[in-house]
Amino acid sequence: MDGLQANECELIARVRAGDEAAGRALYDAHVDRVFWLAYRMSGRHELAQDFTQDAFIRAFARLHEFRGEAAFGSWLHTIAVSVILNGLQKVKRFDQREAVLDEAVMVPLPTRHAEPDLKERLAKAIDALPDGCRTVFLLHDVEGYTHEEIGSAMGVTAGTSKAQLSRARARLRESLADFAGEWVHD
Amino acid sequence: MTDRPDWNDEPMDVRLRDLAKEYNRPGGVVPREAMWQAIAPAVRAAARTADVTPDIAPSTTRKRRHIAPYAWSAALAAGLVLGIMLEREVIAPHAGSPDAGTLPVTDSRQVATSTPIPANAGPATTVPAPEATRVAAASRQAEQATTSSTRARDGRAPSGRGATSVDADAGRNATDTQQLYRLAARQTLVQAEALLTAYRASDDQPRDQESMQQAGRWARDVLTSTRLLLDSPAGNDPQMRALFTDLELVLAQIVQLSGAPLHAGERELIERAMRDRDLLPRLRSALPAGATTE
Repeated sequence: MDGLQANECELIARVRAGDEAAGRALYDAHVDRVFWLAYRMSGRHELAQDFTQDAFIRAFARLHEFRGEAAFGSWLHTIAVSVILNGLQKVKRFDQREAVLDEAVMVPLPTRHAEPDLKERLAKAIDALPDGCRTVFLLHDVEGYTHEEIGSAMGVTAGTSKAQLSRARARLRESLADFAGEWVHD
Repeated sequence: MTDRPDWNDEPMDVRLRDLAKEYNRPGGVVPREAMWQAIAPAVRAAARTADVTPDIAPSTTRKRRHIAPYAWSAALAAGLVLGIMLEREVIAPHAGSPDAGTLPVTDSRQVATSTPIPANAGPATTVPAPEATRVAAASRQAEQATTSSTRARDGRAPSGRGATSVDADAGRNATDTQQLYRLAARQTLVQAEALLTAYRASDDQPRDQESMQQAGRWARDVLTSTRLLLDSPAGNDPQMRALFTDLELVLAQIVQLSGAPLHAGERELIERAMRDRDLLPRLRSALPAGATTE
């Protein structure tokens, strides 16, 4: 157990003993990473805030279950990923249900004629990935999670996570195939 | 935290991975303090949870299995139920006092019906007592309910009590949990009804940025409670679940659009969402007489 982990164990013990300042210290140590993960996954500041709050509330409510077998950060991030995925499903359902209203009420945005640049195309391609593939791609290739961590957070096996990642990469390559020549010659 | 790099070495794949780091790239300021306001009560509840769990079960697996429902009760107590305790511990004792009219439910009625959200009066006047007060009140009730519940599940009756007594405790505490949920649901519905009524009553009122943000914060609080109730295993009443799902959609819309003064189209969007779902009538019919703002 390294110094950081030992310090966190001490903080956790203090939180359990009723020390709110220790809770704040734990929160300060991890909130940025959780928030930015939520932002990366949702792309919306207010959603990232909601998800981060929910993740910490759940983590503190379940703190008595934390056995110290893994780093607190890993345990917290597993909760956070689960909260984010559940939240995104609800948001998606909301967006779908409101889409009809949007079409009926909102003035349509002017159509873009300019060819979007590569970043924009990639962002759209990532958005268009199936939920599972998108999540695994972002967690693994962008955020650096292991397949075991992803599997644990998503309730799937590490093998499933690997398969989803492979599928995600293939889809992205396919979506951006017309840029491939450029990259080879970079 | 990272696996062995197994991304193909093709230039396209490498470039894609690098570019993907720009996707929703983090930036700006993390709203630490705002989030902490909502999280701090959970920290206090965690301490109370820890007080009663060490002797419940020796193994991690067993503890996980048996404590999960307890955690739900604690979460309910910490984040949601409290408001209900207002009725028992705050509103009721003050019912006959001169200050009774300024308490939450009554106050929200005043705001919603006779004074449609003025430009500088935010929802603070209609939001219940501070979170800390609410948490303290509800957690006492949750502790009583869940402590005896976990004892009953583990077959550990207090000394001098037999199996029959344990069974009775288990049944009683299942009822307690359901009751806590109902109380939490009721308080959330009261808040939601007051919020939506006030929102509708504020038609055509000029709203400044601050009041919009206050309304947004209020809606966010109610939205958080609604989502927790939706996720609660105690929330298995299909009718209530449908109501909370619709409520969640409308609240999310209000939260999403609360950053700036609403355009007519945006307001109409929210109005239609409420109208199409009969949200206010359903909220009111779900609440006991006297608890609504109409």
